[in-house]
Amino acid sequence: MNNRKISNAFSFSFLLILSIIFLFPIYLVFVNSFKSKFNIIGEPFTFPNSDTFVGFENYLNGIESSGLISAFIRTLIITVGSVLAIVIFTSMTAWYLVRVKSKMNKVIYYLFIFSMIVPFQMVMFTMTSICAKLGLNSVIGIIPVYLGFGSGLSVFMFSGFVKGLPREIEEAAMIDGCSPLKSFFYVVFPILKPTAITVAILNAMWIWNDFLLPYLLLGSGNKTLSVAIQLAMQGAYGAIDWGGFMAMLVLSIIPIIIFYLLCQKYIIKGVIDGAVKG
Amino acid sequence: MASITLKNIKKTYEDGVTVIDNLNLDIKDKEFIILVGPSGCGKSTTLRMIAGLEEITDGDLLIGDRVVNTVSPKDRDIAMVFQSYALYPHMSVYNNMAFGLKNRKVPKDEIDKKVRTAAKMLDIEDYLHRKPRALSGGQRQRVALGRAMVREPAVFLLDEPLSNLDAKLRTEMRSRISMLHKELKTTFVYVTHDQTEAMTMGDRIVVMKDGVVQQFDTPQVLYNHPQNVFVAGFIGSPQMNLIDAVIKKNNDSFYADFSGFNINLPKRMSKYLSEYENKKVIFGIRPENMSISNGNSENTIKLHIEIAEMTGADYFLYGNLGDKKIIANVSSNQNIESEKDYFLKLDIDRIHIFDKINERLICD
Repeated sequence: MNNRKISNAFSFSFLLILSIIFLFPIYLVFVNSFKSKFNIIGEPFTFPNSDTFVGFENYLNGIESSGLISAFIRTLIITVGSVLAIVIFTSMTAWYLVRVKSKMNKVIYYLFIFSMIVPFQMVMFTMTSICAKLGLNSVIGIIPVYLGFGSGLSVFMFSGFVKGLPREIEEAAMIDGCSPLKSFFYVVFPILKPTAITVAILNAMWIWNDFLLPYLLLGSGNKTLSVAIQLAMQGAYGAIDWGGFMAMLVLSIIPIIIFYLLCQKYIIKGVIDGAVKG
Repeated sequence: MASITLKNIKKTYEDGVTVIDNLNLDIKDKEFIILVGPSGCGKSTTLRMIAGLEEITDGDLLIGDRVVNTVSPKDRDIAMVFQSYALYPHMSVYNNMAFGLKNRKVPKDEIDKKVRTAAKMLDIEDYLHRKPRALSGGQRQRVALGRAMVREPAVFLLDEPLSNLDAKLRTEMRSRISMLHKELKTTFVYVTHDQTEAMTMGDRIVVMKDGVVQQFDTPQVLYNHPQNVFVAGFIGSPQMNLIDAVIKKNNDSFYADFSGFNINLPKRMSKYLSEYENKKVIFGIRPENMSISNGNSENTIKLHIEIAEMTGADYFLYGNLGDKKIIANVSSNQNIESEKDYFLKLDIDRIHIFDKINERLICD
């Protein structure tokens, strides 16, 4: 009993320290976003006091200076569009690959799995130049590119769940008068909802925060949030507005945190379902 | 309302395995037909072919007068109840039952009426708003039945619908399904591996083994006149005693000789047995056609009873005759003890003689 207490105390302290290490940078960003830009570099760890507190000034400056609102709208369009495309197409793909047994489908399934292993950095230059030639270097054009990058993991997760789904339910739907497409949308997809939400959250998080792909493909013409922030930080040769920069960071992570908190109860369920039933 | 005709039906899977070969069945309108047999005998495949869930490799399947080989399941005017219930987990009981009607664009008030009538018949009115996961096994099974009922199909297909229920519920649902058949006056095709279900529910029973129909007849005929050793052993619980014997002739009478006993066979069998003289046969007698005898009289065997199980009205007696296990089912109006020898009188009017080689019935 005593041993157990000690080991519990040890793991608690270890996890506490780890949490602090991870949360501290976020805390720093948040606190400094309310301090005047001259105090941020000099005293980054202090809490804002009556001298250094500037209210929402940094936020207003940040939004104005870097076209944050248009970047926000662009990121929103890209994220929502890509996530919708990923969820709809990969769930259908997984359903087909699991239900229709053929050698070809097996090969396709393993290609999806393989695509998870290929690092983005390996293909980024060749792929972005091909995509640009294909005219995919626009806010809408980047959506199919994200569909391609997101589909490996998503197909894998959906297949795990579909494998555990009794075929009789779809057969019952067939007898009840459904075409394959109708039986997918009315019967299979609603049952896949927990996995669909998990897939949506995981993809939304990385697409929202992604920097490299929009930076290479869209450039500074169609800035997304992460690109806008990066460009703001480069600033004008040393005259970086650290206050505005911190404020933009806070603003950029708020939507995705809210989205995560709303859906997080499904994440664990979805991941486990896929893992166990796979 | 429809008859079902299977003509020379064959089913071969993609890997080349033929599970059903040359199956012929003639199911009349409003009949309750049971497909029964051990696992892997092709009974579920047959049902799924009738439903349109499995392709037919060869032959013709008719529902009514229409060949439906290539007709999709939704256009066959059938409803199916699955072993796993196959309810839609995300829909309420009401929507589960209404789904098929909605797909057929039935007016809303008519759907409502049909669902509520079916729910009342099946005693599930109080659960209409619940999701399937909040129901017990028996309730789920009733919802599955209700989903099939509201469609008012010409043919009801049921694939082992009771095998996931406990014994008490199974008995209750058995009579409920039989009642339902009487009320709905529709053709029922019911698959089971449980011969008690088959015997109690079916108008006629198809006994299958390895994709081949062994016998297709009423429960009484299957029980009293099994056409081969498989049907004899499969129908009836406990199963028929099947003993290797040799046919002997003495004057004009025929005897079955086994384990040192001579059983005098009835005169009516003589004309069938003449060609089997001194040949091996299988001698079959049901446990309940044996009774305790006070002494060694004619057509009696002496059996060392290893276990005597009292079930109330009856005794089940277990013993060995050579290397063959024998079961007798006798009345419990006298005391019988284990590990003792008893004389058992065989009712020779109820015996069955089968060919040892092809296992077909010679006479009974």
